[in-house]
Amino acid sequence: MKAQAVTDAQRSPPSSELCLPAECSQLAAARTFARQSAAAYGLDGDDCYEFAYAVNEAVTNAIRHGLPDERGFIRVTITAEADRLTCAVRDWGTFTAPAEDPAASFDAAAEHGRGLALMRILMDEVRLHTSSGGTTVYLSKVRC
Amino acid sequence: MSAFYISDETVNAPAAGGVGVLAAGGEIDYAASPLLHEHIARHIKAGTRHLIIDLSGATFIDSTAIGVLVGAVGSLREACGGTLAVVCVHENVLKIFEISGLQAAIAMYRTREEAMSALALVA
Repeated sequence: MKAQAVTDAQRSPPSSELCLPAECSQLAAARTFARQSAAAYGLDGDDCYEFAYAVNEAVTNAIRHGLPDERGFIRVTITAEADRLTCAVRDWGTFTAPAEDPAASFDAAAEHGRGLALMRILMDEVRLHTSSGGTTVYLSKVRC
Repeated sequence: MSAFYISDETVNAPAAGGVGVLAAGGEIDYAASPLLHEHIARHIKAGTRHLIIDLSGATFIDSTAIGVLVGAVGSLREACGGTLAVVCVHENVLKIFEISGLQAAIAMYRTREEAMSALALVA
């Protein structure tokens, strides 16, 4: 399976979508998609790296803990608004978030559980939406 | 495409001091971290007591690979009272280590020579 990118210039705000096979070999494609979208939006080098880093963590979580759709895909949608760039990573599983407080879930000696904490530190806003139909993580970077 | 490489540069027998060096570079993500884990386990099995993981060529390291490094600290300590040192120069990787609070768990150095010198004091 190959990743399928769709850009819909007709919608407002503009968004781009990447449907990825839920396989770890696809993470590089997710990072490239995120980095290029962030650069096109006008984020600086550090913010582009942080945006791509957080997207990589969210996609990793979706692959590890979530479920793909019936075709084996998870969906990465990046939306450009006037003040912020937001990436939504959607899978069809029901994820249970750990503690909301990053400090509380951040243990230097722990082997697991850093992904969400890193997302919260690197992004300006992280929202998690879980329903019976699936899980979506929204990652936003505000434009300075 | 993400490029990732890993190589065991020295695996010394315990009698020779048990110092091992592992170089890993490129983008170390969830696709690569099992291989990193495998190479570390191989070092410990071969008798490496003090392991230097040289990440000078790494441009990206995700949370799963950080978990592997943290796990290696415990594995080396439990197997033989050993230690882990990490060499890292890439600013973006250093930033991730910093915000992960990893410096509290793992000894970090800018060059392999610095790590070797520090190990000579420990070994």
